[in-house]
Order: sequence, then structure tokens, then C-alpha cells
Amino acid sequence: MKKKKWSNLYLFLVFIFLYVPIFYLIFYSFNAGGTMNDFTGFTLSNYQTVFDDARLIGIVLNTFMLAFLSSLIATTIGTFGAMGIYFTKRRRTRNALLSLNNILMVSPDVIIGASFLIFFTFLGISLNFFSVLLSHIAFSIPIVVLMVLPKLNEMNASLLDAARDLGASTFGVIWKVILPFITPGVIAGYFMAFTYSLDDFAVTFFVTGNGFSTLSVEIYSRARQGISLEINALSALIFLFSICLVIGYYFISKDNLTKKQKRRLRQQSEAREIL
Amino acid sequence: MANQTIIAFENVSKQYDEDLVLKDINFEIEQGKFYTLLGPSGCGKTTILRLIAGFTEATQGNIYFEKKRINDIPANKRKVNTVFQDYALFPHLNVFENVAFGLRIKKMSKQAIAIKVKEVLRLVQLDCFEDREISEMSGGQRQRVAIARALANEPDVLLLDEPLSALDLKLRTNMQYELRELQQRLGITFIFVTHDQEEALAMSDEIFVMNAGQVIQSGTPVDIYDEPINRFVADFIGESNIVEGNMLADNQVEFVGQSFECVDGGMRRNEPVEVVLRPEDLTITSPERGKLVVEVDTQLFRGVHYEIICYDQAGNEWMVHSTKKAKVGSKVGLFFEPEDIHVMRFNETEEEFDARLESYEEE
Ligand SMILES: Nc1ncnc2c1ncn2[C@@H]1O[C@H](COP(=O)(O)OP(=O)(O)OP(=O)(O)O)[C@@H](O)[C@H]1O
Ligand SMILES: [Mg+2]
Repeated sequence: MKKKKWSNLYLFLVFIFLYVPIFYLIFYSFNAGGTMNDFTGFTLSNYQTVFDDARLIGIVLNTFMLAFLSSLIATTIGTFGAMGIYFTKRRRTRNALLSLNNILMVSPDVIIGASFLIFFTFLGISLNFFSVLLSHIAFSIPIVVLMVLPKLNEMNASLLDAARDLGASTFGVIWKVILPFITPGVIAGYFMAFTYSLDDFAVTFFVTGNGFSTLSVEIYSRARQGISLEINALSALIFLFSICLVIGYYFISKDNLTKKQKRRLRQQSEAREIL
Repeated sequence: MANQTIIAFENVSKQYDEDLVLKDINFEIEQGKFYTLLGPSGCGKTTILRLIAGFTEATQGNIYFEKKRINDIPANKRKVNTVFQDYALFPHLNVFENVAFGLRIKKMSKQAIAIKVKEVLRLVQLDCFEDREISEMSGGQRQRVAIARALANEPDVLLLDEPLSALDLKLRTNMQYELRELQQRLGITFIFVTHDQEEALAMSDEIFVMNAGQVIQSGTPVDIYDEPINRFVADFIGESNIVEGNMLADNQVEFVGQSFECVDGGMRRNEPVEVVLRPEDLTITSPERGKLVVEVDTQLFRGVHYEIICYDQAGNEWMVHSTKKAKVGSKVGLFFEPEDIHVMRFNETEEEFDARLESYEEE
């Protein structure tokens, strides 16, 4: 009994620690005073400023566009990459490929960002939306591979034999057996890549040029110019958006469950009717 | 037409890295028969099926299908379907879609598919299960889905890899009858893998007994049971008493220090041999009337019969299957007919065995 109390207290403290700064930030987004020092009165004007700031809204849209595109492309490439690793027959080669993938995962963003910058300048590629997109795709691919590969390994290899046995071509095997089986991994990989892309500051910071900026880079540069509660308001909105995403995800997965349960219930009642 | 060869192996070997798992396999499979590959675990049964289905390539040798060499034809182009050892049903598809998988690839019309799927599901007695998920099926039902899925493609040859091993005894016996009946009704060639000798004897037209990557003996169940070529086959198929002996002359064999009349021949004079006597061929009588005198050591009730273990003076063990009880510790006689004795030579290959059989049966 006592133990449980302690563990609850611990959890409570951890969550307080994690969430208090965010709530502090959100709290001051409603401050009329213009600083984070004292709360002088409630206002929504900071939010008004955000929605009036066309440049900021543009950057938000850019950021989402970038995340959407880069994760889509990275998921496609990463899924086939994972299959490539899975189907590599020689163990040594397979392990080497996997290690190369993992090194990209663990190496610091700063180094990746810097190397992309050097790479792009060397090739004479101008820094704009596409340079950012390319680098986001590049650092997302290893994430997708890492999410998809366990699913592939989980798959019973005789399923592939069975599909070929029943006449499926290589394309058919991939399309009708492998992809349906690894779909959860692919979706998870897509979402991971999406959030990584939304999040990313270090790599983006290196490869953005004049014309293009993402939210994290923009917030950083604005925060450096001095505190503006507009940033607080924006952060609050993004936080709200993340909560919506999580709740949405919860309902999607719950919905899947109930659909299956519903079908089972229906079958049971049908079976009863037959009897 | 019935005896047309459909599959032939010619000097087929298979090597994994350093491991030679199939050694120079030769056989022919005739259209419309039920074949069984029988052998201990790891002897290469699955490997043979995989070669026929096209999932692996032979290291050496030729595989023929209807007289055409098929070594280089991919699995999806072969008119063979497999029921896998682990069923390999697609978990994301329901029963109907699993069975329809091959038909959809063939681009059959929706109606034709529905009719065909219903038909094969009825064949394996799974009508009304179409909408079930695979995870909602029992082991025996899954296995029948696997059979239905393979049958739906109307293969010329159906390969079954230990499909019954996961089932309990009763269901297994039922499925044995059903499979055999199905095979006879459809007239498809079945190649069935098992390591259960009773299953093999009960179901097959022809059995290939394998060991360590080789086919040791092939023949009808009766041939293999009555005339095993060597100790391995005799031991593997059914219970047997095997003792060392000497071939005195044709139709005359000596073992346990006595000479007996038998029906084997074609061997050298005084050639050392092994003698097989099946437990059910031995009958217990009084010591005076028996051909051998033994002492009863232990006795087990097996339901259908008593399994009685006896020892002769030389210390050889004799297992007897008898419906009558014996008295433990008593001396009894064992009686058997000359035809019950089967003599095996050491290191005789199947060809030599067959040749010898023909030579002295002609006389
Ligand atoms: N992919 C592989 N790589 C290396 N060795 C293999 C491979 N597949 C099978 N073997 C080996 O080949 C031999 C024969 O295997 P196979 O699967 O044909 O046995 P089996 O007769 O089907 O046995 P069981 O009754 O246990 O299924 C075994 O020794 C096995 O270890
Ligand atoms: Mg096997």
C-alpha cells in the first residue's frame, strides 16, 4: 500500500515537472501586460496578433507542408529500403546496412545539418524549400526503416512462399502480402517522420536560406530578439493541436477495435440464428 | 494413362553452405497417386517439397514436371500447390479471401471466385466459415483452410508438409480419412510429408522412406512393412524384433543357434544377415510346440493387445503382440511361419534388393 503511494507521488512529480513549464507558457499567453513577469489582466489580443501575422501563418503552413511531404517521401523510400535490408541474403551485408542506418539515427543533428550545408554548397544547390525538403527526407528515412524492419522480421517467411505458390509475382507478393502486413509499422514510421520533421531545428537551421523558414527556426530567431507573447500564443495553439492529434489517434485506434468487435458480435448472433 | 509420370527427380542434390542435405535423389511420381515422404526430423522431406514447389533451387541434378525440366521455372509458374507445415495463412485476410487469393491473381470473375471458394470450402467441410478471421479458427480448421486454399487453384500436384502434426489424435485420424478420400475423389497427385509411420502406412499408395538426405526404400505400404530393406526401415516402420543370423542356404536361415526354414534367398552361403520378425506374427504356445523357447519378462496392456517382452537363452529380446495374457516369469514357446521371417543383408541398396527379389522369385 505504502509502496503504491510513493510510486504515485513519483509519477505525479514527474508529470508536474514536465507540464508546468508548458502551462506557465500558456498561462502568460493570456496576459495583457506584454511580459512574462506579472499577470496584469486577461486578454486574447496575443492570439489576435498571431492570426494577423501573415508571415507567421505562412511559415506554419510551410512547416506542415514540409513535414507532410518529407515524411511521405521518406516513408516510401524507407519502406522499400527496409524490404531491401530484409531480403539481403548475406548476413554480413545485412548487418552492415543496418549499422549504417543506425549510425544516421544516433549521429547528432548538428553534424548532419552541417554536412548537408557543405554538401549543398559544394554541389551549388541553392538553399530554399527544396534543400530543406531533401535534408528532412534524408534524416527521416532511417527512422522509417527502424519502424518498418521489426514488422518485416515479425512476418512469417512462409507467407511469402505461400503467395508465390498461389501464383503471385514479386510485385503481387509485395502488394498483397508484405504491405498489408507491415502497414502498422509504415503508419507508425510516417507519424514518427512527421513529428521529427515538425520538430527539427538543428538540421533545418543549417539548410534554410533567405526565402524559406520553418516554425522552429522562426520562433528561435524571434525569441532571440526579445520576448513577445505572440510566441506564447502560438505555442499554446500548437500544444492544443498536438492534444487534438493524440485524442484523434486514440479514437482511430479505438474505432478499429470496436469495428472488429462489432463484426464478432454480429457473427455470434448469426451463428445463434443458424442454430 | 493412369501410370503417367508427372514428376521425376534425376540425381538431385541440395547443399546449404557446407551441408549436403539431399544426396543424389532419384525417383518418379506417377499421376493420380498418393505418395508419402517418411523419415525422421531433418532428413530432408521439406527440402524435397520446396524443390518441387520451386522455393529453392537444386544444387545439382534435374527436376522434371510432365517430362519438361523445371529447374529454372519460378514457383508462381508451376502447377503445384503447397499446404505448408505452419499453414502460412494470410493473417490480414479472412477465410474467404485466403481461399480466393490464387483465384484473384488468375483474374477470375467475382462470381466464378465465389462459386469456387464455396465449392472447396464445402469439400473441406468449412461452409459457413467464409467471413471468419484466421485468428478465430481452431488449429484443425486452419489446416483445412490451408488445404482449401491450395485446392482452389486446381493444382496437378498437391504438396502437403506434415499438415496433421498439430492436431489431436482423434481429429488427426478423421483428417486422414478425409484427405485420402479427397485425393481419390479428385484424382490429384498428393505428395504428403510425415514422420508418423502409421499415418504413412494408412494413407499412401506409395511410401518413400528417407534418412539423412537419401531415399532408403520406396514401395507400397505392404512391401515396405513386410520387406524392409535394412534395420533402419524395419525399426522406423512398425515394431520389430531384429536379431543377427546366418544364411545357411536359400530358404534356410540360422539364428539364436537354431536353423529355420524361410522364404528368402539369393545370398552367399553362410552370409551374415539380420532377421526381422514382427511382434504380431509371433504366437505364444507351449514350450514343446514353439520354434523358440523364451521366458516372459514383462507385459503391458495396450488396449488392442498385450505387449509382451520375452528373452531367449542368448539374451535376445522378443516383443510379442498377443490378445491373450501370458504369465510373467513363465517359459513359453514362440511359433511363427516361414513366411513371417524376413531376412535382410547388410548394406544392400534398393536396386540390389529388388534385383535379388526378382532373381529368386522367378525360380
Ligand atoms: N535454409 C536453410 N539453410 C541451411 N540449412 C537448412 C535450411 N533449410 C533446411 N536446412 C537443413 O536441411 C536439413 C533438412 O531439412 P528439412 O527441412 O528438409 O527437414 P525435414 O525432413 O522436413 O524435417 P522435419 O520433419 O523436422 O520438418 C536439416 O538438417 C536442416 O537443418
Ligand atoms: Mg519439414
